[in-house]
Amino acid sequence: MAEQFAAPRTTVVTGAGGWLGRGLVHRFLHDPARRHVKLLAHSTAEAHALASLGDVEIVIGDIGRPDTARRLLHGAGTDCDVIHTAGIIHPRLTREFFEINANGTRHLVEAAGGHRVRRLVHVSSNSPFGTNPHANDTFRANEPYNPYYGYGVSKMQAELAVFEAIDRGLDATIVRPPWFYGPFQPPRQTVFFRMIRAGRFPVVGDGEQRRSMVYIDNLVDGVVAAELTPAASGNAYWIADRRPYTVNEIVETVGRALADEGLEVKPNNVHVPAIAGRTAEFGDRIVQRLGRYQQQLHVLGEMNHTIACDISRAMNELGYDPRVELYDGMRASVRWCLDEGVEL
Amino acid sequence: MTIVPATPRMDADVLVIGSGAGGATTAAVLAEAGLDVLVVEEGEWIEQGSIVPFSLEQMDRQYRAGGVTVALGLPSIAYTEGRCAGGGTEINSGLYRRPPADVIERWTRDFDIADLDYDEVVSIAGDVEEALDVGVVPGPSTAPSDVLRRGAERLGWQHSEIPRWMKYTNGGSGQRQSMTRTYLPRAMAAGARIATGCRIDSLEMGGRTARSASTTLPDGRRGTIRFGDVFVCGGAIQSPALLQRSRIDGPIGRSLAVHPTVKLAARFADELNVPDDVAVHQVKEFAPELSFGGSASQPGLVALALSDQWATFSKAITDWRRISLYYAAITSEGRGRVRTVRGLHDPIVTYGLTRRDRALLGSGLARLTLLMLEAGAEEVYPSFRGAPIVRAPKDVATMNGSFSASKASVMTVHLCSTIPMGQDRAQCGADSFGRVHGTDNVWVNDASLLPTAPGVNPQGTVMALAIRNARRFAASGRHRG
Repeated sequence: MAEQFAAPRTTVVTGAGGWLGRGLVHRFLHDPARRHVKLLAHSTAEAHALASLGDVEIVIGDIGRPDTARRLLHGAGTDCDVIHTAGIIHPRLTREFFEINANGTRHLVEAAGGHRVRRLVHVSSNSPFGTNPHANDTFRANEPYNPYYGYGVSKMQAELAVFEAIDRGLDATIVRPPWFYGPFQPPRQTVFFRMIRAGRFPVVGDGEQRRSMVYIDNLVDGVVAAELTPAASGNAYWIADRRPYTVNEIVETVGRALADEGLEVKPNNVHVPAIAGRTAEFGDRIVQRLGRYQQQLHVLGEMNHTIACDISRAMNELGYDPRVELYDGMRASVRWCLDEGVEL
Repeated sequence: MTIVPATPRMDADVLVIGSGAGGATTAAVLAEAGLDVLVVEEGEWIEQGSIVPFSLEQMDRQYRAGGVTVALGLPSIAYTEGRCAGGGTEINSGLYRRPPADVIERWTRDFDIADLDYDEVVSIAGDVEEALDVGVVPGPSTAPSDVLRRGAERLGWQHSEIPRWMKYTNGGSGQRQSMTRTYLPRAMAAGARIATGCRIDSLEMGGRTARSASTTLPDGRRGTIRFGDVFVCGGAIQSPALLQRSRIDGPIGRSLAVHPTVKLAARFADELNVPDDVAVHQVKEFAPELSFGGSASQPGLVALALSDQWATFSKAITDWRRISLYYAAITSEGRGRVRTVRGLHDPIVTYGLTRRDRALLGSGLARLTLLMLEAGAEEVYPSFRGAPIVRAPKDVATMNGSFSASKASVMTVHLCSTIPMGQDRAQCGADSFGRVHGTDNVWVNDASLLPTAPGVNPQGTVMALAIRNARRFAASGRHRG
């Protein structure tokens, strides 16, 4: 395992109320070495929810506004790491992608450079890289940008902003997670569970497309490793479960996890021809060109493709070792939903 | 040398049509087995060294139709065929790859090829490697080749130097060990005759047996060649076309396979262009589906590569010494057809790319572009209409946004699979040893037999299979006593 930094005096998390943000806060609050945890929440309601988790300092603000990052880092000192998870994935209007994902990151890296923070970890996505050209292809550590519509373009612009800041002297590392799953999941993932329970998850084409996914705890491990590995500076890493899964395997495994948690699951019987996936993708493109965003079209269009990534660089350079695989991770997610009283 | 003039009446125990990787090896094996062999070649015998390699003059004299041959489709795919003694071996990159084990195994299974033993293939490949002096370039590789090595290394992508069939004398640039320097002289030393400038128009069939071949001589006169057996080795376009003109039925010309390629021109800070040679490094990180390598880059070809987006790319041409050309090749799931049309001298070739092929071409071009930037390219000019000049990673996104295979200059040099070999008569035009199904004495022994495109430079595989089949034929005892 590579040499590691000690935890910094101050750990700053943007997007703290989000899925990954809450996973990170949970981890940091259980780590005595994290003396000071400072969070960016985007609303008072979110701030209240975060304050109930433990001893944290909270700043409320919109990362898309230039002054927010400065306020967030004010007084944080230089023994400070910033984990930037704030972003928007399913907005109402496509311009929100650019305000939040691209401009928000520009503001943050500028402020982080000005404050001479120790390290910034930028949470990117698979979206700047589009989809694999065929079902057996796997994204390597370095790939050409080929952004998947509005979200992908905005996340690419965010990466470019980080790389430019690195060239100006910022110590930063990029992690690229694909589709998450696990506790703290937002409502859209609940829909996914409900569709599978009802036997109505649309498997596009033959279902042998491969998808990399990442269990939230694995992702938190990867983000922390990227934060604390000195040699990771300037690099970007895929952080995902050990291997990609086929869509058929995902549907089957989630069904089994739901059943093993005592829920009734109907056999899945929605098979959509590949042409429907392509039609949805086309519709997604048109709708996004009109400045709007329609989640179902976007997700169905993307389901037609393989999005698979190779995590060996993170394993070799960060000592990243994803411990949870799909079945166990999905059971934990289902249990979390049931414990939280989420109806599946 | 026994280059004989083509005459109106010729005969031989075995007529070999074509003198490339398939025909030359067939002729050598059969002549050395004591058979009376006549090789007929449509093109000229041109001594190496009398023409600059990869030059326009070479295209004019050693390529079919001056190098301008096209498989129709959307996009149309330009291809090249050698038309000279030695065929494609005189003009190609000279890179050698052994027949891949997994490919041979897949062919055996999917096409029901009898008695195709990989150990035997490898043993023959060993003989070929010795005969052609297969080896790596002594000393450092050229600057265009080093670009591939350097870019791949920075990206952590697998790459290797591909051995070539070149003979290097101290300090010399190497002599390609093409068929005119190896198997054709061997065939002639064993008594084979070769007639050049002579086209075979058709085989005259009597039931299952070919009785004779109708020829057109260099001076335009017609002639006839009588033979016991005939080996058709005209390559994957000409061989099926000849069988079709001879009214031989079966799955012939219906399953053309190629490795489609897209190109780019990359400009570097320093001069690197090597007009008369190609890169020996290939990037195999995404193999077999995608491979990257260097293309012939003499100034005329650089201009051709820039012509897709001439309005914005043309200024670069004056800088050609700092530019080299590279390709991304894919294994295609598409198929093409070769059809002869009565009254037309050349067959009509068509090829259709699949959706996956198009996605792969785009991905290949983008990954190759990234590699060029990593290797230090200042500007990359991708070969498709509407392409941007790429200077930084963000420009690759723009390039991906405007790419479509239909706008690209897609070309190929690896043509095969038009008469697949095997016992499965629904897909195979020839049996497991190359005899055309439904005939007694018509054999095919060239790239047409490869059941699919092999995913690597195919010449080594073509030669190994041709030698295997010719040895079986010789051992069968036909034409003896």
